[in-house]
Order: sequence, then C-alpha cells, then structure tokens
Amino acid sequence: MHEVNASLASAIELGTPLVLAAMGGLVNLRGGIVNIGLEGKMLTGAFVGVLVSWKVGDPWLATLCAGLAGALVAIPFTLVITRLRANEIIVGLGFNVLVAGLIGYLLPVAFGIYGSLNPEGLRGLPDLTIPLLDRVPILKALSGQTVLTYLALASIPATAWFLRRTTAGIRLRAAGEDADAARSAGIDPLAWRDLSTLIAGFFAGLAGAQLSIGIVNLFTVGMTAGRGYIALAAFYFGAARAWPTATAAFLFALVDAIQVRLPGNDLPPQVGDMLPYIAVVAALTVVAIGRRRRERLVEAT
Amino acid sequence: MLLPFVTALATGAIILWLSRRSAPHVYWLLAKHSLGDQTSLANTLAYTTPVLLTGLATAFAFRAGVFNIGVEGSLYLGAFAAAWVGFTYVHANGVILIVAGLVLAALAGAVCAAPAALLRTYLGVDEVVTTLMFNFIAIGITSYLVNGPYLAQGTANSMSPLVASQASLPRLAAPSQLTIGILIALAAAFLFWFVFARTTIGYELRMVGQNRRFAAASGIPIARVVVVAFLVSGILGGLAGGIQILGVNHRFVDHFSPGYGFTGIAVALLGRNTAIGCCLAAFFFGALENGGATVQLFTNIPIELINVLQGVVMIFAVVEIGRARRR
Repeated sequence: MHEVNASLASAIELGTPLVLAAMGGLVNLRGGIVNIGLEGKMLTGAFVGVLVSWKVGDPWLATLCAGLAGALVAIPFTLVITRLRANEIIVGLGFNVLVAGLIGYLLPVAFGIYGSLNPEGLRGLPDLTIPLLDRVPILKALSGQTVLTYLALASIPATAWFLRRTTAGIRLRAAGEDADAARSAGIDPLAWRDLSTLIAGFFAGLAGAQLSIGIVNLFTVGMTAGRGYIALAAFYFGAARAWPTATAAFLFALVDAIQVRLPGNDLPPQVGDMLPYIAVVAALTVVAIGRRRRERLVEAT
Repeated sequence: MLLPFVTALATGAIILWLSRRSAPHVYWLLAKHSLGDQTSLANTLAYTTPVLLTGLATAFAFRAGVFNIGVEGSLYLGAFAAAWVGFTYVHANGVILIVAGLVLAALAGAVCAAPAALLRTYLGVDEVVTTLMFNFIAIGITSYLVNGPYLAQGTANSMSPLVASQASLPRLAAPSQLTIGILIALAAAFLFWFVFARTTIGYELRMVGQNRRFAAASGIPIARVVVVAFLVSGILGGLAGGIQILGVNHRFVDHFSPGYGFTGIAVALLGRNTAIGCCLAAFFFGALENGGATVQLFTNIPIELINVLQGVVMIFAVVEIGRARRR
C-alpha cells in the first residue's frame, strides 16, 4: 500500500510539468500553431526559476518569473512564425537547439560552472499539505504537492471552459481553424495565434519551474529530458482536448513513476520511456483508420 | 543561403560581445583550428561526414515535399546495425564486415523511416509528428539493446563491445579522424545531384514536391514516389550512423549522437536542399564543430555557442524560404 501511494504521489509530481506544458501546447495547437518549442520554453522556465529563487530568495516570485520568461521567449518565436511566415516545425526545433545552447553557454560564462546550477540555500517551492485530504487513502497522493500541481489540475477544466465557453477562446479557435473565415468575421487571426503561443510559453515556463524548484532543487542543462516532446505526444494523443490530454500526461507520468518505484519489475526502463511516443503514433493511426472508414462509408452511400 | 549564415554569425558576435569576448578573435580562432593546417582541415572533414549524410537525407525528403524530421532515428538504428555486425562477426574479413555493416546500417535506416512512410501514404497521417516520435522510439530501442542484451562485459554502462579492428573504416589522413567515410558521403552527394538532375524518378520527386495535384494529374504515381523519398532519406540517415560507428566511435554508445540528425535539418535548409549546398553547409557545421571543440580546450569559450549558431541558422533559413509548406 505504501508503494502504491508513493508511486501515485510521484506520478502526480512528475505529471504536473507534463500537464502544464501539454495544456499550453493544446491551446497553441487550437490557435493554429504546432509548438515543437515547448522543450526550450520549459528549459527557460526551469533556469529562470532557479535563478530568481537563488538571487531573490522567493520561490513564489521565481515561479511567476519562470512563467513570464517562458512567455517572453515565446514572443520572438511566434513573431517569426506568424509575421515572417517561417515554418513552425523548423522554428520549434531550431528554438530548442538555440535555447539549450544559450543556457549552456551562459552557465560557465556567467556563473563559472558547467552543466548544473546548484546554489547553496536555494529555496524550492514548499509542499502544501491539504487538511483532511491527506488522511484519505489513495487520494492522499494529491496532498503534499507544490502549488503548481494544483494549478495544473485547475488548468484542465479551465482550458476546456476557456476554449469552449469564452469569446476569447472561440476567437482563438476560429483563428486556428480558418484564418480567412476568422478575418472576414473581424478577427485578426495572427494576433490570436500570437496570444495562444504566449499562453503556451507561460505554461511551459511554469512546467519548467516545477522541474527545477518543485521536484528537485537545482537546474541542469538536460533536466527537461524531452518532456516538451512528451507533452506534445500527450496533446496529440488527447486530440487537443483538455481532459484526454491531461489523462494521457498523467498516464505517461504514472508509468514513469512505477518504473522508478518498483525495482525488480521485468520491464526494461527504456520500454516505459518509449511508451508516450509509441502511444501517440498508435493513436494517430487509429484516428486515421477511423477517418478512412468514414470516408469509405460516405463514398458508398 | 547568405541571410541565415550572416544572422548566425552576427548573433554569435553579439553574444560574445555581451559576455565581453572579442568576436573577431574567437572567429579567427575557430577558423584557425578548423582550417589552419592539414590535420585541422582533415578533422573538419571528419566532422563534416555525418552531417553531410544527414543533411542529404533530410534534403532528399524535403525536395519531394516529405517533411521527414526523423533522420536522427534512422541514424541511431543504422549506427547500432553497423556496430552489431562489427562486434558479432569478429573473425570475418574486414572488407566484408565493412560492406555488410554499412548495407545493414542503410537498411536499418530505411526500416526506421518505413512506418511513417506507410502511415502517410496509406492513411494520410501527417509525417511531422510520426517521424519526430520515431526518433525517440529508435533511440529507446537502441538504448534497450545496448543496456540489455548487447551491453559489453566488464565496461561501464550503456556501451556495446568494440567492433573488430579490421571493421574500422580505413583512415585517410592519420593522425586525424578522417576516414573513407567522407568519400562515401561525397559519392552520395554526387548521386543526389545526379538523381535530381538526370533521372526520371528525380523529376517525379521534384514534381511531387512542387505541386502534388499537378504531379497527380500528369500521371506520376504519388504514393510510390513519396515512399521512395522516405526510404532513401532513411537509407542516407542509416548510412550516416554506420559510417560514424565504423569510422570514429568503433562501438555503439547509448545516446551517442549530439544531434547529427537535427544538424542535418540545418544543413539541408542552409544548403537549400541541393547537393552542392549541402556540401558547403555541412562543411560549415563541420568546421564549427571541430573548431569549437578545439577552441573550448584552449580558451574559455563554451562549445555551446555552436548550438546557438545552429539554432539561428535553422530559424532564419525558414524565414527566408517563407511558405515552403502547406498549413
């Protein structure tokens, strides 16, 4: 039982950055941009989070700054795509290489260290204990998490509601689905597209903060470890809908957590590492088969 | 070709200036340590080899309008296949090992590209996400193999046994790392040019890339052409991995690639998807990589600066091309 609880708590802790980044990427995709650059924005957030918490001593402010930093680097990213009409996929890949290079360059030049920033007395985000909930079996895994976990959980219905029920959300989706139609309805599609990228940047920045000052208390250059791509897998797996996307993200994290927590299982760890990627290819395949079948039916009638 | 190149160097100069280092001096050091003498030049060509092949692999697909960003995955499977041949048949003849290793590497690369090709052709699944995902799947598979069944006895983690010494690619300019791999890469570049300039399939690939509906209307078998683009791209990527293992690394190491496949995308973009352009761009990145590694040893300029330049090249290469792709 203890193992189950520990695995669940760990899954929620590890799932938090995935959910946050995936929600951002989902909004961005609905706004019309495939964001391959989540990885770089997460890394930016992770770095700024540690930096601010170290220099100012306030992990809460550091978390906010991490989100803002993610949004800040998203500005040139989105402008290059929307205004200079650059291919979003290439810009995303290039952006990730660029950010990793820039931070990797900055660490030794500015702080005289290579690879990881681990300042003494760095304050991380506190684990919040939720009264009563921490006594309930199973559900107590939800207690004792950082504020970002609760933010991530709240972001799921908030994203669904925002996209479905608010004017802004509907305009954003219109900009993503059909730019010309949106334009004729008086909506500036590029501006909405930019906004959706900024939202993605903010959320990815928060996701980075969870990695660096939430789960552990340090920054390393490789600490995102492809999580931006796993978030991408999650929102593709979830067909850009909030609940399925979040479910996928937590599922990926759960597999990860079980592997870490349960030594002696026969599954090699690499199989778990590959799971999100295999899952998304399988999901895209199933969706395509379904679409093909419907098309056949339409043709037949 | 000039805009991304100049922007990258300018960005690098600004970053160097901000960190109070002299950009002309650093660039001069980079040039000196990558082109200054015979061994430096040979090592630059050694660094050029894998990224020329991954660049050609990417460009081949891009020319046909196939957005294959999964060359890194092909490279990994190819690398493992070549290593496997080299450390399994340790008593075989060297020439046979090299040929078999590289052929198997090419096949493995094609195998990595095949699922995305089939999904795109028969089910209309966009290849961007699938090829991106297959990178991680291929890296995971090789990681499993080299940590599980093929972990070398008595070594640290995540390494295959060494390949038989007779399976190493012949060196061209000892003590540099340069091998006949560069000749294979250049031959591939020539074939790339020849295919697109002189052959029917090359014409068909170009037509499909430029205007798919027109190509279909002219009776070009789109599905077959697209599959060819994927597979040749995978073959070139696999070859890049095989040559890197048999030429330089001599064993498969988990996560060994510093992103040769992704640098290949930058090479293809900077080289405008042409054979000669890829050669020049790959040489540029080879020089940066080689010069950067040496400069880091002698000065306090972190090699990560090279990645900054590469990222800028990628971004500004597509800015210039503009609407290269649907969506």
